[in-house]
Amino acid sequence: MDFNFTEEQVMLRDGVARYLDRNYDFDARQGLLRSGAAWSKETWSQFAELGVLALPFPEEVGGLGGSAATLVPVAETCGEHLTVEPLAFALALAGGALVAAGDNAGARARLADLASGASIGAFAYDEGRGLAAPAQIALAATASGDGVTLNGEKRLVFGAAQADFLVVAARVAGKAGDATGLALLLVDPKTDGVTFTPFRTQDGRSAAHVRFDNVKVAGADVLVRDAHDVIVRLVADAILLLAAEAVGAMSAMMRITGAYATTRKQFGVAIGTFQAVAHRLADMKIALARAHATLTYSTALAEAGRLTARDVSVLKAQVGKLGRAIAEAAVQTHGGVGMTDELSVGHYMKRVLAFESMFGAADYHFRMIGKAA
Amino acid sequence: MNIEFGPELESFRQEVAAFLDVAPTPAIREAGKKTTSVFAPFEQVMAWHKILHAKGWAAPAWPKQYGGTGWSVEQRYIFAEECRKRELPPLLPNGLQMVGPMLIELGSEEQKRKHLPGILAGEDYWTQGYSEPNAGSDLASLQCSAVSDGDDYIINGSKIWTTLAHHSNRMFMLVRTSKTGKKQEGITFLLLERTDYPGMEIRPIIGLDGFPEQCEVFFDNVRVPKSGRVGAENDGWSVAKHLLKHERGGSAASPAMLHAIDRIRHTAQQTPSPFGGVLADDPVFQRDLGELEADVMSCRHFEQLAISGHPMARDAAYPSVNKTMNSELSQRISIMMTRVSGIETVPQQLEALVVGSNVAPLGDDFDLIAMPYYLNTRATSIYAGSNEVQRDLIARTVLAANR
Ligand SMILES: Cc1cc2nc3c(=O)[nH]c(=O)nc-3n(C[C@H](O)[C@H](O)[C@H](O)COP(=O)(O)OP(=O)(O)OC[C@H]3O[C@@H](n4cnc5c(N)ncnc54)[C@H](O)[C@@H]3O)c2cc1C
Ligand SMILES: Cc1cc2nc3c(=O)[nH]c(=O)nc-3n(C[C@H](O)[C@H](O)[C@H](O)COP(=O)(O)OP(=O)(O)OC[C@H]3O[C@@H](n4cnc5c(N)ncnc54)[C@H](O)[C@@H]3O)c2cc1C
Repeated sequence: MDFNFTEEQVMLRDGVARYLDRNYDFDARQGLLRSGAAWSKETWSQFAELGVLALPFPEEVGGLGGSAATLVPVAETCGEHLTVEPLAFALALAGGALVAAGDNAGARARLADLASGASIGAFAYDEGRGLAAPAQIALAATASGDGVTLNGEKRLVFGAAQADFLVVAARVAGKAGDATGLALLLVDPKTDGVTFTPFRTQDGRSAAHVRFDNVKVAGADVLVRDAHDVIVRLVADAILLLAAEAVGAMSAMMRITGAYATTRKQFGVAIGTFQAVAHRLADMKIALARAHATLTYSTALAEAGRLTARDVSVLKAQVGKLGRAIAEAAVQTHGGVGMTDELSVGHYMKRVLAFESMFGAADYHFRMIGKAA
Repeated sequence: MNIEFGPELESFRQEVAAFLDVAPTPAIREAGKKTTSVFAPFEQVMAWHKILHAKGWAAPAWPKQYGGTGWSVEQRYIFAEECRKRELPPLLPNGLQMVGPMLIELGSEEQKRKHLPGILAGEDYWTQGYSEPNAGSDLASLQCSAVSDGDDYIINGSKIWTTLAHHSNRMFMLVRTSKTGKKQEGITFLLLERTDYPGMEIRPIIGLDGFPEQCEVFFDNVRVPKSGRVGAENDGWSVAKHLLKHERGGSAASPAMLHAIDRIRHTAQQTPSPFGGVLADDPVFQRDLGELEADVMSCRHFEQLAISGHPMARDAAYPSVNKTMNSELSQRISIMMTRVSGIETVPQQLEALVVGSNVAPLGDDFDLIAMPYYLNTRATSIYAGSNEVQRDLIARTVLAANR
């Protein structure tokens, strides 16, 4: 067993870290958000140049032959910098769906552009309160000609309003709750009947709710039929990368809070000398160690192609739960100043809470773990 | 023991309900629904304050001679419940629950005459100027100084976290008037009749939810009359401690918490469960909500005992037990709200949260406030003395009892 990243992975991570250290500190990030930009185009093209965007894709389509798991160290670094670029959404989800489409010509072309940074995609999956697993997808795609017609809504689609293409997870047969009858569709965002309600997320990303009114999708753009298991796999990859970002954010909160507890003085001493504060720091460190171990082990399982649904649930639930614990401890330790928009700690909190609410919250995944072996 | 509310209370409840059903304007109702912290949207809550004052109901807890309603504790509780049921904005606490009661007990006749009517009528709003950048938990180390000059004090220094200072026209504050002896013994309590004195500057601070609620206040040779002093010079700490009792003990929290539980349950009835059916019918959800509700019920029982005059409320630890319990319960409620709202908590909806906004919420009202409420409620274990400090105080009473 060896749980260390390869030399190439370390080099890539360090390259990304060097770039972000120089160009993406907290002030620069807040400036970016204030400018109204969805994310930093320079950062995205830097990612392209460093090979981040090509890394998870097969070589025959212009990729570097890695997987989502290969990107974990980069995603962790992104989380430490609270980046708002849609790494997991564009690469693991939208890109992963294109890979799953095999030799579909449209998918191939899009994939090459995605890997080079020439275009970007979004993945329309979620539908609102309570959706925790793909089988619950309800968005209706009714057969028409050799293709389908879409009617309904997707919610919280990251990067939707900026995307050059959408991959939509929809239901062609059956009803919400059925694992059968799902498909992945390639949709041009400019198609008649597609409308966006864009917004900024609590943690600084850009997303939109997307409505589909009689949107025609040609047969050639049905990327994957019987897509349940593919969607499960794509979501697992996204969870892995988002968990890595969350763990990066947790490391940052640990570091920032430890520093604050040694410099902030009350009653003439550093607040870290009060046992109530010191024990909270200790609990944060224990939580971080657990989350980090689970992330790293899960990554190794994914690289070996052995990450089961149960393992994904363990990862999602633990990072969600421990992330919240660390975030709440970090804010509490900062006192009043932790409640302000000015400090980064609250923004890290929002990042881990957003992670916790997506793709099924901890309480859902705990039940999936407890249900059956 | 007698657990019954008397029969006359039912007609009282109807009288209250009849008024509350018609008196608030639509903007006031909207403000109640968009309240995401203990401080309701300022303009509308002050408008509601004035309406209640016109009816004579602004300060149920005050003695009748100062404008109170003369209601029994049970009647006050019913009033609070009926207000919460309708999600009306809770009146701001600083004047009604802090400065007012403090002045009634400790203020001079002149101070009472001067300040109580404005508080009661909702004409004046008082911000609390205690904390400083380097004096938070260790409040007694505060440095903002007041130097005597004839009939005035000259104030220099700064205050921070002054809630709603940018909307307030009055401030009560602690200043340092002596640097010798114990640090608690050089503090003086002042009432400021204005917040726009020459040399006084107020800068809002943006909070986690994206809105300004707290402020920084800077004093550069600000001259204020000595007639605003409460108690003797250098005896402000005892005044402040007195007032803190109101801040930590104070009003009944359980009506709002039980209402929030009802809202959570109601929303869960419209939320699909990933295990089929709706979330409200999901046994695991029911268990978790049930435990939370049971803890809120214990809080309610504790409150009922306290308002009935039970000796429990005279325990030295009572205000700290109350503060710690309430803050942690409201934090758990806020987590439960975000759990039900799920991904609907992720969009940031700054515009839709503003009262009177023409931007519609992306989801329903519950989704709109779940995350801002969660974020703001983090502060409840920090302000009014952090929960760590409260636990120290509670522990001290346990240890002292055995000494
Ligand atoms: C089942 C069992 C097996 C044991 N086996 C062995 C053995 O094989 N060999 C051996 O030598 N000893 C053994 N011990 C003894 C054990 O190491 C001591 O009980 C332990 O060190 C605590 O000391 P104490 O019992 O005197 O409690 P105390 O030190 O008096 O502590 C009482 C309480 O105060 C808390 N406390 C004390 N100091 C602090 C502090 N600075 N900060 C915060 N909290 C504090 C403690 O955490 C504890 O909750 C055993 C004990 C048990 C219960
Ligand atoms: C939303 C909000 C509204 C507020 N409104 C007002 C207001 O209107 N007027 C006003 O004057 N103030 C107000 N405050 C300030 C509030 O009273 C202070 O934030 C609080 O006293 C804590 O001080 P601090 O922020 O400086 O934190 P610190 O005192 O620096 O505390 C930082 C951390 O250290 C811990 N700590 C400190 N000392 C000890 C100890 N001895 N033992 C164990 N742990 C300790 C704290 O619990 C906390 O976790 C408000 C604060 C907030 C967040």
